[in-house]
Parts: sequence; structure tokens; C-alpha cells
Amino acid sequence: MTKRQWMALISLAGLFLGAYLTLYKFGVIGQLACNVGSCEKVQTSRWSVFLGLPVATWGVGFYVLMLTLSIAGLQPRFEDSRRLSLVMMLLAGWGVLFTAWLNYLEAFVIHAWCEWCLGSAAMVLLLFILAWLDWRATPDDSAFENELASQS
Amino acid sequence: MANKRVAPQPGRKPGVVKQSKKTSSSNRAFYLLAAGLGVAGIVALTYQSTRGNSVTRANPVDTTLPPVKSEGYVIGAATAPIEVVEFGDFECPQCGRFATLTEADVRTRLVNTGMIRYRYIDYPLPMHGNTWNASRAAACADEQGKFWEMHDAIFANQDRWDTQATSKPDKLLKQIGGQIPGIKADQFDQCVDTKKTQAKIQAHLKIAEARQVGGTPTFIFASDKQTEGFLTYDQFKKFVDDAIAKAAKTPAAAGGDTAKKSAPLTPIKKG
Repeated sequence: MTKRQWMALISLAGLFLGAYLTLYKFGVIGQLACNVGSCEKVQTSRWSVFLGLPVATWGVGFYVLMLTLSIAGLQPRFEDSRRLSLVMMLLAGWGVLFTAWLNYLEAFVIHAWCEWCLGSAAMVLLLFILAWLDWRATPDDSAFENELASQS
Repeated sequence: MANKRVAPQPGRKPGVVKQSKKTSSSNRAFYLLAAGLGVAGIVALTYQSTRGNSVTRANPVDTTLPPVKSEGYVIGAATAPIEVVEFGDFECPQCGRFATLTEADVRTRLVNTGMIRYRYIDYPLPMHGNTWNASRAAACADEQGKFWEMHDAIFANQDRWDTQATSKPDKLLKQIGGQIPGIKADQFDQCVDTKKTQAKIQAHLKIAEARQVGGTPTFIFASDKQTEGFLTYDQFKKFVDDAIAKAAKTPAAAGGDTAKKSAPLTPIKKG
């Protein structure tokens, strides 16, 4: 499997995780399965809402975007696009910063850990690493053009 | 993995081959895997949200009820130097842990010795499907002066009546309440069935919202220091000591001058 395929699968898994926490937040799911940490404490804290929407819902949006981009990146039209790799890397980089902030809050402000949030943080980090590797491995379009030029 | 694109493309010179990264066969495997994951995810989420957990049936704030005045339930001497307020939710696991592990010591060592007065205020959280039923049942027990007994029994039996266990919590809460020594079961059952204590719980919820309580359990020591989450007895005692020391310096800081003198102190029952 290619890096972009892995990214699509991870984004899909992240999407379901975010949906699970969002459904909990909106009261559709009554109780979180949470064996290790204190998910409820984290999920009911004031930090679980960002700009009027649950943090988990922002996560769903993030994963939908990553999933769309990585599936687009599998299509013949974009499969060699380095620009797409760059966009995915920047988006995942932003995700890493955001989850780092959330993890900081869990550790030092809320004093509780939510295993689902940690799982999501790990997935975002993995997405960023894959996006970075993909970006490095995708040949530069301009280099390709230069190569063409030199052969003519 | 890589196939070669030999067909000339617009803007690119014919004959030049660029390595393509993916093949259609690996894509097919990927799409199968993704579809499998998608189906599994949807099944899991549907299962989770249809386990009788929906709280729409159980979030019954009724704005047509005439408001009543209630400031929670108090235990302890009116002369205690400080008051500790707990905002609790009967279905919250951390509140249950506190009630069953820590609260016995709090009552025998701090409340019964006159060091603190303790106030419990309901803060039913929207994600707990049966918590309103429990709050109402506890308020029904309070009508017969048995709030703290019911409070302890509700927490001790949390896994019997919570959202995971049942979609008909009132039946179990009546069973639990009916076992409290000295309670008039008929009167209690009727109170639970008619939901007559609903307005009282709504009053408690309003206090919690006005104080912008984030989650449960939240403890407020002498109207000053606020902390959220489970506390061991030692942690709790440290907050109490600090609050008493502070209150001794500035007597006005000691909270709870509105406290009612409460009934004889009942030690918590375990199990």
C-alpha cells in the first residue's frame, strides 16, 4: 500500500473516532467506553468546545478533508502532484499543533486523559509523518519539466 | 508497484517516461479495505447510538413548571467554619467513585467532627440518560428526610440503574429507595412516579449553570477554591485545611451563612 492509501485509511478511522465523540457530545451516545483515562472529565470540560463547536466535530471536519485529499491523491490526475502532498502535509502539521495544544490542556489544565483523544493525537501525528514522507518522495514537477527541457 | 506512462501527454514530450506511483490493482485492494473499514465503522457507531442510550427521552427540563427555591442538600453543623459544595451527577462514574471511596471518611472525620458542612447540588449532565430519574428519586427521599441514605444507595448501585443497565430506571430506583430503613415506600413510589420533584432538580441545575460548573464532580471549598474530578480523602482534606486556614485569617471568606441546620449526622453506609 502507498503512503496516500495509508493516509486515507487512517483518516477514515479518525473520522469514525471523531464521529463517536461528537455523537457523545450531542447526547446520542450515552456513555463513552473508557477503560483507562477519564474521558468524561475531558469531554465535559469547558475545553471540549472550540469556537462554538465540540472539538470532536472539528476533528471530523479535519479527517473528512484529509480523507478527500488523500483519495484525490490516488486518482491518476493528482497521483504525481507534489502540491497536493504539500497541502496535506501543511494540513496535518496544523492538526499536530492543535492536538498538541489539546494534550497540553489534558496534562496541565484538566488533569485527566481521554484515551480516544490520545488515539486521535497519534493518528494525526502519523498522518503528518506519512504526508511528509509522501511529499519528500513525490518528484518535483518543476524538476521533471527541467529534465524534459534538458533532453530536448 | 510502478507502471510506466508512455502515452504522450499534453505539455509533455512524447517518449519521456515518468514513473507513476500507484497501480490499479493495489488501488482495488485499498478500496476493498477502505469499504470494509467504512462498514465496520458505521456498524459500530449505529450500535453505540441505538443501545437505548439516547438522552432525548431523559433531558426533561420543563420550562412550564413554576420555579421552586432549593439550594441543594446540606449535612453538618451550621457552626462549622467552612462549607464544601459538591456539584454532582448521580450517573457520573467519578462522582460514584468519590461517593463510595472517599465520602465515608469525609463524613466521619470532617462533617461529624464539625470541621465542615457539606452541600450536595445536582448537576445532571446531558449525556447521562438516567441521571434525572436518580436526582428526582433522591429528592423524593429527601421529602422523608432520607436524602443522604438515598444518595449513598444510588451511588453504591450506580451500575444497576444507569443508562448502560436499563431504559426503565425508575423501577430500579424505587427498589433501591424502598430498601432504605424507615422510608414509606408508597409515598416514595408515588413521588417518583409523578415526578413531583422535577422543579427542584431544575433549580439545582440552574445554580450549577450560573456558577459555570464545567463537569462533575466539582467541589467548592468555602466559596473560594474550586476543583473538578475525583479526590482521595487526603486530597480533599488538604483543600479543607487550606480553606479553614484561610477562613481563620479572613472570617468573611467562610462560606455558607445560608446553611440550614441539618438533621442528626448519618454516617455513610458502605456497599
